Amino acid sequence: MTSFPAIGRLSPKAKTASLASALALAMVGLGFAAVPLYDLFCRVTGFGGTTQRYDPVAAAADPVVLSQTVSVRFDANVSPGLPWKFYPEHPTDTVSIGARDMAIFIAENNSSKLVVGTAGFNVTPTQAGKYFTKIQCFCFTEQRLEPGQQMRMPVLFFVDPKIMDDPDARDIQEITLSYTFHPVDEGKKAS
Amino acid sequence: MTDIAATAPAHGPAHGHTDHAHDDHDHDTPGFFVRWFMSTNHKDIGTLYLIFAIIAGIVGGVISGLMRWELAEPGIQYLTGWAQFFDPAAGEVQGKHFWNVMITAHGLIMVFFMVMPAMIGGFGNWFVPLMIGAPDMAFPRMNNVSFWLTAVAFIMLVGSMFVPGGSGLGAGTGWTVYAPLSTSGSVGPAVDMAIFSLHLAGAASILGAINFITTIFNMRAPGMTIHKMPLFVWSVLVTAFLLLLALPVLAAAITMLLTDRNFGTTFYDAAGGGDPVLYQHLFWFFGHPEVYIMILPGFGIVSQIISTFSKKPVFGYLGMAYAMVAIGVVGFIVWAHHMFTVGMSVNLKMYFTAATMVIAVPTGIKIFSWIATMWGGSMTFKTPMMWSLGFIFMFTVGGVTGVVLANGGVDTNLHDTYYVVAHFHYVLSLGAVFSLFAGFYYWFPKMSGRMYNEFLGQLHFWIFFIGVNVLFFPQHFLGQQGMPRRYPDYPEAYAFWHLISSYGYVIMAVGVLIFFVNILYSLVAGKRAADNPWGEGATTLEWTLSSPPPFHQFNELPRIA
Amino acid sequence: MLEASGKRVYSAREIQPRQWLAGRMSGRGRTGDEAEKEQQATGGTILMKSLKTLVIAAALSLGAVGVGHAQAPATAPAEAPVAATAPAAANPAPVAADAAAPATVAAAVPAGDATYVPMKPTPGVGQPIDAGIDFQPQVSPVGEQAYWFNHVILLPVITIITLLVLGLMLWAMFRYRAKANPVPSKTTHNTFIEIIWTAIPVLILAVIAVPSIRLLAQQYEPPKKEALTIKVTGYQWYWGYAYPDQGIGEYVSKMLTEDQAKASGEPHQLAVDNRMVVPVGRQVKLIITGADVIHSFAVPAFWTKMDAVPGRANETTFTANKVGVYYGQCSELCGVDHGFMPIAVEVLPVDKWEAWVRSKGGNPAGPVAAVPAAAAPAPVAAGAAAPAVTPAATTTEAAPAAAPAAAPVATN
Repeated sequence: MTSFPAIGRLSPKAKTASLASALALAMVGLGFAAVPLYDLFCRVTGFGGTTQRYDPVAAAADPVVLSQTVSVRFDANVSPGLPWKFYPEHPTDTVSIGARDMAIFIAENNSSKLVVGTAGFNVTPTQAGKYFTKIQCFCFTEQRLEPGQQMRMPVLFFVDPKIMDDPDARDIQEITLSYTFHPVDEGKKAS
Repeated sequence: MTDIAATAPAHGPAHGHTDHAHDDHDHDTPGFFVRWFMSTNHKDIGTLYLIFAIIAGIVGGVISGLMRWELAEPGIQYLTGWAQFFDPAAGEVQGKHFWNVMITAHGLIMVFFMVMPAMIGGFGNWFVPLMIGAPDMAFPRMNNVSFWLTAVAFIMLVGSMFVPGGSGLGAGTGWTVYAPLSTSGSVGPAVDMAIFSLHLAGAASILGAINFITTIFNMRAPGMTIHKMPLFVWSVLVTAFLLLLALPVLAAAITMLLTDRNFGTTFYDAAGGGDPVLYQHLFWFFGHPEVYIMILPGFGIVSQIISTFSKKPVFGYLGMAYAMVAIGVVGFIVWAHHMFTVGMSVNLKMYFTAATMVIAVPTGIKIFSWIATMWGGSMTFKTPMMWSLGFIFMFTVGGVTGVVLANGGVDTNLHDTYYVVAHFHYVLSLGAVFSLFAGFYYWFPKMSGRMYNEFLGQLHFWIFFIGVNVLFFPQHFLGQQGMPRRYPDYPEAYAFWHLISSYGYVIMAVGVLIFFVNILYSLVAGKRAADNPWGEGATTLEWTLSSPPPFHQFNELPRIA
Repeated sequence: MLEASGKRVYSAREIQPRQWLAGRMSGRGRTGDEAEKEQQATGGTILMKSLKTLVIAAALSLGAVGVGHAQAPATAPAEAPVAATAPAAANPAPVAADAAAPATVAAAVPAGDATYVPMKPTPGVGQPIDAGIDFQPQVSPVGEQAYWFNHVILLPVITIITLLVLGLMLWAMFRYRAKANPVPSKTTHNTFIEIIWTAIPVLILAVIAVPSIRLLAQQYEPPKKEALTIKVTGYQWYWGYAYPDQGIGEYVSKMLTEDQAKASGEPHQLAVDNRMVVPVGRQVKLIITGADVIHSFAVPAFWTKMDAVPGRANETTFTANKVGVYYGQCSELCGVDHGFMPIAVEVLPVDKWEAWVRSKGGNPAGPVAAVPAAAAPAPVAAGAAAPAVTPAATTTEAAPAAAPAAAPVATN
């Protein structure tokens, strides 16, 4: 409110009302700001099972590979509007914590026209999100499939060894990595 | 507060002026159209709000009656027929959709167009200026805008029942309007209309909140310090802040719903990187304070009445006032207990469990303080007092089941079952509505200048009390047995308690009829009310004025010692 | 002390499953070997092998149903002739041309299906009872703990508080009525009592919080690796279930009509055509998602409820310790038929569950080790058999579902 020099000259009523209105407007702003903030919050904390993205610049060194292993389950879904078949090559894989692993997902376009899809994802249990780091993933970009085309799509990931220091997450025996492929509607843009 | 009882009167100037005001009543009062359609008088606007709330309450109540009628027996009996009232071509699917339209409309109408307008718009407008010794609200024209926005919003919501909303006419999304059911799941303008109606109602309430805050902060009579304000004024002040902070978030959330529906954005659509759960977070960030918005003014009303009819000042005034502030503050950090099954981490659930239970503490302070107010008093049991006592007990019942539901682990089973329905109807239908009736009977003589009929009032109370308990208590059993909410039909095993519950509705409806008979009778043939019909216990400023108060009051401000 | 009594309730209930189940449960690891032995005993082509396994298993479970649980192992040889006739019918399969194979396989599969008879629900268990007021009897450890928490702590506490408030109110109304007390006191505060009624609720809540947090911790214990994983998808308005490790592709579970429910002796609005079937005593991990709008998967008798949110996987677990049929209903408003997409979970003894898995064309032994491409001989058989062996599977899941049918061969 300090940016309004006139406020000092307002009547007390107008002053209170302006402050209250400003508060309401700020809350509207906060409501909209919740979208990017929620997104940021999820990415930072792994909230809701949001996975981490490997940043080769920020990562000082490769993670230490531990002797403990964890099972990783691969789950694939296709949203109703997408005429694709989409499934993991293996339903599960056992990986050493800290070690890089590659999983293959297979997508097939059953329709007679070119279809572009994009994948959303999360992991369960949700507290594993903070430690599940993707180095390379087909979900980072849109995928185009010609009619009848089958594509093998790799995802390269590791489970951060820091998971063993988290009392809420270290007992996890199996992490499920779930993808849902959605059609890319040219009208709809990522918000 | 402690000494406002003894010193509030300011009799001399106020009274002298009152008589004077009576004199020029005639040429001060505008003609019918200007008075009721372009009203800037807080009492007239309050009256409009009350009439509006009663009409909305009848619509919402009839809808719930239809729902109980349909639920009285297993199977779908009447829905298709009712749907044909709106659309002659309606079939079974449209019938089932009509069910969802009814639950949506009942919820939205009761929350936004019955309880809120009656509590804040009605009693708030009428009595906040009177109680703080102000001539009117701070922004009378804005006050009028608020009312008419609310009225238009209500018409839009009712109108949405006549336009396509997916599987049939009307918005069948539930009052929570969860995405994606409300976005990709409901094609047609009905949901857009319902959302727009919420926008208008929300804008009206925000304007109202600004008005109340400004009035209470700036227009108190000399000597009326913040800590001498009657508790009803305190409750409206806290409520106004809740409105100011919560409703804009709803507005933002549902604006994004609208753009998701119509302009191809994907705020809540996983296909575009959005998250439907975000909508729930935003909705309940508003939705939880909203339940306090509905109940806090009720706390205020009940505090005034208990004090009046015990002939004793409110016990622990400061504790009572700040308990409301505490409830309001904590109310903003507990929202996710409405979404325990959405798939959140265990730590988050533990936090929201603990935070939610904390609310029981200030609520307990209020309950015990009311009892302590009665303790040592000299109690009479007039109709408003009966409603207040009923409120305390029923609100306690609803409150303790809230403590059960607060436990994330227990909520796993009870979430979205009839247990929840029973819980929130105990705090709202038996809590907020009881306090509304209490306030209505308490202030009816002041507002109308006539006494209500005591016998009919007592009869109304007892029949309504029995009715709502028969109606809602068995719903705890249904919920524990596993009956989910928002179902038009159910397995045979639930039939017994559903039937009892429907009988309860009929009993309650008889009570409401008596209420209407009482109002009509009293308005026409009620005894003239004295300035203060409640005697020495009624110490707030409105009782120093005539009944009804003059069109303009406190032109010369009362002075509170 | 609280914990001790909680455990007592739990163990008392745990004994209930028939005694032989205990053996089955502890010998869970054996089931894989058994399956292999059965396969080794039957010779023939790859296709025949899996078919026979399927039919024998089916016969086994038929015998078990007919003769009774305790005698199940003993009856197996006696039923062998039945099994022998079935492969005869299937014999032409490898001989016949590709086109013929699907037809014969399809013919053989119903024979397998017939041996799995959906269990009749037990009245009063896993479903609401007439005019019932309490929770449904809990059959999972979490449910028992939660039920105990509610009934031993919450319910008494809230009842006492409510009665206390009512009692104080009634007493005040009586004692301080105007006639009895014409002159009101002027007391407006009493710091001591205000501290008391703030502090005591805090203590009570603290006492409630301990078991509450413990219950949450128990509910959220990460599932064991050995848990049976079931993929649950909510659709408008039915459920889809898939068993990725058993190679059972997604099948659809819809509500039965009133007549169908009556015919099968089940409660209308709860009965479904294809149930979720799980083994008794084994932890089940559900991966839940929604296809279109938000649904919620709920089974009151397991104290389980989890939203099915589109575009996102949720995880929850339960362990059912009692054989039976348990019903639930969708618990998040999802549109017109929200009230008509019930859930039915059938909890079976391990061997019968295995038979059910085989009847679905799956391999009960557990995670499929083989990759479709790696199992060299498999694709030949799978190519032909796939459409028929998993008739319930949606097209999306057909290919992965076919692989497990051949998987036992690869693991041999």
